[in-house]
Amino acid sequence: MEEKAIDYFRKYESIIPDFERFLASLLTPQPYWLRVNTLKISTQKLIERLLQKGFVLEQFGNLNAYKIIEKPVKHPGATLEYSLGYYYIQDLSSMAPVLALNPSNEDTVLDMAAAPGSKTTMMAELMRNEGLIVANDINFNRIKSLAGNIERLGITDVILTQKDARVASFGLKFSKILLDAPCSGEGVYRKNPWGFKGVNERQHRYLGMQQMRMFKNASNHLEEGGIIVYSTCTYHPYENESVVKYAIEKLNLAPIKVKIPIPHTVGVDRWKDETYEFHEDCIRIYPHMVDTGGMFIAVLAKE
Amino acid sequence: MPFLQKNEYREYFMERFGIPWEILEKYIFLERGRKIWAFSGKYLEIGDIELIGIKALTKGRVLKPSTAFLRIVGKRASKNVIRLNYKEMLLFMKGEDIEKSFPVEPGYVIVVWEEDVLGCGFYKNGVLKSQIPSKYRMQDSWI
Repeated sequence: MEEKAIDYFRKYESIIPDFERFLASLLTPQPYWLRVNTLKISTQKLIERLLQKGFVLEQFGNLNAYKIIEKPVKHPGATLEYSLGYYYIQDLSSMAPVLALNPSNEDTVLDMAAAPGSKTTMMAELMRNEGLIVANDINFNRIKSLAGNIERLGITDVILTQKDARVASFGLKFSKILLDAPCSGEGVYRKNPWGFKGVNERQHRYLGMQQMRMFKNASNHLEEGGIIVYSTCTYHPYENESVVKYAIEKLNLAPIKVKIPIPHTVGVDRWKDETYEFHEDCIRIYPHMVDTGGMFIAVLAKE
Repeated sequence: MPFLQKNEYREYFMERFGIPWEILEKYIFLERGRKIWAFSGKYLEIGDIELIGIKALTKGRVLKPSTAFLRIVGKRASKNVIRLNYKEMLLFMKGEDIEKSFPVEPGYVIVVWEEDVLGCGFYKNGVLKSQIPSKYRMQDSWI
């Protein structure tokens, strides 16, 4: 299985820096990260409680992100504190799109493909349960898991909808939109290598086309001066830079360079016959950089 | 089915549990069918809503508060609150009954251990029945 995975990811040798380290990282299990739900408990109190129970945690910089180095239980959610909604298991890379969006309690936010809710609940925490988040997902079972996480974490500023993000009307315009698009999921390989199914070039293209349709719909729902954060957890440029290129050229959105406090590289400048002049405005997080999953992020504005 | 705004449900939490107005006023209460939802965001009428905010109450013969909402507002409750010791907390969180006399009115109560609001219980005739939904209950392997 490992050899198959290595073969699969070889196609990215020309675009992923420090490629041998990248490949080596795929063979090590991804650690768990947690985010304190400061809507319910102070960071200090929760960390003290978890340390007392035998957890060993390492904070990443000044972020509300803690790598679980050691845990006294099989699953990091097998605690009273988790049941009470005091923390959420969320990979550091998955926090990056929300940091790029930087929502405040003044915002009206659309989360177009929200389940299972890592980013929705993080946004609600940053917004202190104020403002408005419309969290959407097309799949009923995924909506149920999203609703469960919202309930456990005590999130009260979210409206849930079940719509097709490619075509649906959400009935209003938003100041900020998160389009964390369904993708081929290559960046979560380390989380579940057994369940990983790679896709071929044609399938990457197809996914890219669906992502473009979502982007177009997102753009239709964006206020003047508003921003869209586009993110995927995959590496293929057809699902990343190509989609951003479409948004710039066909939807007249403007890329914005944002800083996030997580190590990353810029986007790729070319893939096959396509070039991406805006690549320096894109963000790519790879697993060998900070021991996380992989993530692509771009921020675009309607001017 | 539409959600109907009925903020008079705030009074239930004030009267039953003594939760102050200033805690409750940030929520609007929306009724759909037998369920009442609490929402603290900017309320805009949009179509095809699946869920809004958090379930706060279920209508029946009497109103039943949800564990999820009590965990948010219950810290400021001043009556019908039961405080458990560690052993009792473990039993309660496993969904088991606790036979003991507590100085509260019969009916739904807020159950607390130290600083944690554990959720909703039902107290009658010297028995506290855990109303913790099964998905939140502690398993033997938990810590």
